[in-house]
Amino acid sequence: MEPAPLSSLKEEEPTGEDSSAFSAAAVPPRPATHSHSLHKYAPLDWSSYFDEERRVAIPGTDDVRALGKQNPQGLQCVHSRIGGPRRVLPARRRLLGVSPRCGLLPVNPLTCFTGELRVALASLLNFQSTRSGDFPPLGHMLNAEMLQSNCFRFVPETFAIDLYSWLSFALAANQMKGKARVVAMDLRGHGKSTTSNDLDLSIETLTNDVIAVIRTMYGNSPPAIILVGHSMGGSVAVHVAARKEIRNLHGLVVVDVVEGTAMASLVHMQKILSNRAQHFPSIEKAIEWSVKGGPLRNTESARVSIPSTLKYDESRECYTYRTPLEQTEKYWKGWYEGLSEKFLSCPVQKILLLAGTDRLDRALTIGQMQGKFQMVVIRHTGHAIQEDVPEEFASHILNFISRNKIGPNGVEIPGLIKKWGH
Amino acid sequence: MSSPHGGLDDQIERLMQCKPLPEPEVRALCEKAKEILMEESNVQPVKSPVTICGDIHGQFHDLAELFRIGGKCPDTNYLFMGDYVDRGYYSVETVTLLVALKVRYPQRITILRGNHESRQITQVYGFYDECLRKYGNANVWKTFTDLFDYFPLTALVESEIFCLHGGLSPSIETLDNIRNFDRVQEVPHEGPMCDLLWSDPDDRCGWGISPRGAGYTFGQDISEQFNHTNNLRLIARAHQLVMEGFNWAHEQKVVTIFSAPNYCYRCGNMASILEVDDCREHTFIQFEPAPRRGEPDVTRRTPDYFL
Repeated sequence: MEPAPLSSLKEEEPTGEDSSAFSAAAVPPRPATHSHSLHKYAPLDWSSYFDEERRVAIPGTDDVRALGKQNPQGLQCVHSRIGGPRRVLPARRRLLGVSPRCGLLPVNPLTCFTGELRVALASLLNFQSTRSGDFPPLGHMLNAEMLQSNCFRFVPETFAIDLYSWLSFALAANQMKGKARVVAMDLRGHGKSTTSNDLDLSIETLTNDVIAVIRTMYGNSPPAIILVGHSMGGSVAVHVAARKEIRNLHGLVVVDVVEGTAMASLVHMQKILSNRAQHFPSIEKAIEWSVKGGPLRNTESARVSIPSTLKYDESRECYTYRTPLEQTEKYWKGWYEGLSEKFLSCPVQKILLLAGTDRLDRALTIGQMQGKFQMVVIRHTGHAIQEDVPEEFASHILNFISRNKIGPNGVEIPGLIKKWGH
Repeated sequence: MSSPHGGLDDQIERLMQCKPLPEPEVRALCEKAKEILMEESNVQPVKSPVTICGDIHGQFHDLAELFRIGGKCPDTNYLFMGDYVDRGYYSVETVTLLVALKVRYPQRITILRGNHESRQITQVYGFYDECLRKYGNANVWKTFTDLFDYFPLTALVESEIFCLHGGLSPSIETLDNIRNFDRVQEVPHEGPMCDLLWSDPDDRCGWGISPRGAGYTFGQDISEQFNHTNNLRLIARAHQLVMEGFNWAHEQKVVTIFSAPNYCYRCGNMASILEVDDCREHTFIQFEPAPRRGEPDVTRRTPDYFL
């Protein structure tokens, strides 16, 4: 089923223009202050949800080989820097997208890095108390990482495409503060991550990127990690887990992606992409669209996540998508082909969160009916479960972590071992 | 009614043609079933000969095939190990038929509770929606899920074959442990009653955390000790899809029986039932899906994977 064309969404208040509010020709002069309703859709800064934003440059080691191949510039420099909260000033909003001028980039990425990917960490302040207290995990969300002794790494946003950046997990990460550390990451071509080839969204490259970021962040002794991936990011999470290269990986959380239905929907994707509203006179309008006919249902989350999915088009004087997905079609099949078998083959505890209905394909139906993974269907939510119902999403992740307690001696089931012990 | 069971026999006949009963009839039937089931034990004793069956999941035509192959009730005694509803398109007809048979022939058929005989699970996996679709309201769903609370959790065939839907629990060492708790409630998220309906045998020894998110996995050492402690020969259970319809585990201390062929109309598996005869000999009978006549094609939402 295709969604109704969305590009003709009406504005709430007349602006004196006849044509579509989202066409390039209809762009009003900035700043867009023509509607009081815009306040409701004003962007929100990430710093209320995450504690820290960090750039992770992929070093020129063996790990980078794959990247290096695709990035002839090569990279030698490893640069990691932690930035404090930034204020988003109205006059600079248009820089929110990918411009190297924004944020913390002191150097030209192309001269120093083959790539750098952004991660954000939540709940750092709670790290010590969490570790010493009774709380199970301390998570790192790269969109996921966890364990009883703790860390929850969320390889986040990373895994989300297009409309999603690490900020897609902002509200959920906030819900988990004090209970799990969350590290969220922008995938190549998304959010604030920049590489020498942002269009290479092949599953191999994306998988390499995530592994490289985890290695760069933690070296050879990563904390216990849970990988969490949403949508196409879920596919990346599965591929990362299936490579078995991340030591201390203890769990895999896949959010609303199933090979069977994904493959079946690929034929409609160009149409779906072109039916989206393409141009926005302001960030507020893009946020408004995203919750009124767009993919999201939670305005607060949209205010945090949508800005990072946009870039300002100087020539057309409007905002457009940061990730030109329609140009990456050749990679789409690779994202999903063989995903179900790969998911089942990952040697860690697994949970599949689905939005709305159970729609498993054959391999997953058999796997689920043989008890190989946990499936949770969350009703009344759109595709971006973590954005639409962040509290429920966070509680599922935390339950998954605490249920799969893994202690120093393997699985520990309190009270039972004693009873049966022998 | 010309005979004491005339109405009931007529209902069974309609149900055998895959026709659901009107709501008032379902309500009356469930009232009678409740009276029968509440008298049964948490470990319901069963005599041989008996034919033991696993998951059905609303695949009505395959249940009809099962009766063709195994023999009609009451000519054959049956023991069903749960999961009558959800996933298949005819959960209403399937569970109504089994409950009607239970009311008509209480000594000839035993129906245990599966993890899908629960309010929470049926709202996700189809039975609730099917009731809404077929009756226009949720009354029948409520009537049935209230009745499910009374279904016995386990059965014991000739004191030596322990039958249940899922598997063992670290909180349960003896059958008396099971006999002693109050089962009339929604399936809890954890604890012994949950484990009986959710656990799976595993190749690894000891107890493990179940990947399902509920219950445990238990190894051969656990099965051996449980069988020894309780003088059992075999644990027969369902709950897991097995491609051949049955599967031995733990050196024949545990067997899995699955009776929904081509599960979910897409898995391509065989189904089976286990006949235990007068001499307590076992025979597995495998069967394939009944011929289909245009079962409804469920349309699924195409997700916007990029959006």
